[in-house]
Amino acid sequence: MSLKPAVKKIIITAITIFIITCCSIWYIFTEKFTDTVKEKADYAVNVLSFINEFKINDSLANKKYAEKIIEVTGVVTEIEMADSTVNIKLADTTSGSYVIFAFQQQHLAEAKIIKEGDKVTIKGSCSGGTYSQILETEYIVFKRCVLSK
Amino acid sequence: MKKTICMLAIVFVSGALFAQKKTTTSATVAFDATTNLDALPKADNKTVVAALDPKSGMIAFEAIVKSFSFKNPMMQDHFNSDKWLDSDKFPTVVFKGKITNLKAVDFKKDGTYLTEVKGDLTIHGITKPLNTTGSVVVTGKAISATAAFTIKVNDYGIINKAIDNGKVAKEPKITITADFK
Repeated sequence: MSLKPAVKKIIITAITIFIITCCSIWYIFTEKFTDTVKEKADYAVNVLSFINEFKINDSLANKKYAEKIIEVTGVVTEIEMADSTVNIKLADTTSGSYVIFAFQQQHLAEAKIIKEGDKVTIKGSCSGGTYSQILETEYIVFKRCVLSK
Repeated sequence: MKKTICMLAIVFVSGALFAQKKTTTSATVAFDATTNLDALPKADNKTVVAALDPKSGMIAFEAIVKSFSFKNPMMQDHFNSDKWLDSDKFPTVVFKGKITNLKAVDFKKDGTYLTEVKGDLTIHGITKPLNTTGSVVVTGKAISATAAFTIKVNDYGIINKAIDNGKVAKEPKITITADFK
């Protein structure tokens, strides 16, 4: 007994849709962030002018930069241990405002060789900035960072 | 002359108070909302601003919501969307509180001290009281503080099908670690 061509077609289509759906779900749930090294920067900025944009109007600056890949150039003012990782800080030493970079797991070794006073360019995903009530200063945070230069 | 003395006194006193406050800009806040059905909803934020005043017991932290880092991009997008934390509208998570058993902590003597903390936690624009326990470790001039507690997400106006379906925990575990300078 053989299936009618129309029934055969329906079964093949259903199986194909099922396989595509399974693959899509598997892809979405196992997807990871791309290595930031491979990401193209949306903006390249100098740290002091970048901080200044947030100080003038952080709502506007957040709209422009949040969740974008940015390359920031400046001098390292502080290195902070965070749990088992290292954060690199570039600050405006006159106002205390700062940008802080949390490195991508696979690029932690790069962060660990950076020293205070080094001129660096760091690329990462900007999480935005705000005024800290605790520190009484503006700060901007980055995640998934890598050392560009 | 009196005015000048008063001004100098204010500057001196506020300077002294400021000097007492210990801070860090690299505290960690991690949350774990995983369930048996879904291992993805967990993230951490390693660029949290935190402060501790050993004299008054004041303890506080501020975390930028968009800075919570997930392994899965879709999960991170959902977390920030208006159906969950709505980070565009409510960009920060803030805790302000006090160590209530301050006498049990000797900040001048090395050791591990159990603390009781009482304060207010603001998530998703909603502030709720929070009582928890934690620990303070004093090693020379360094002070570390940790605390772990759970919150009820619906207390903070976060209501979603995924919670009802058991894919996201109703009471995620929050862990805070801060090494103060």
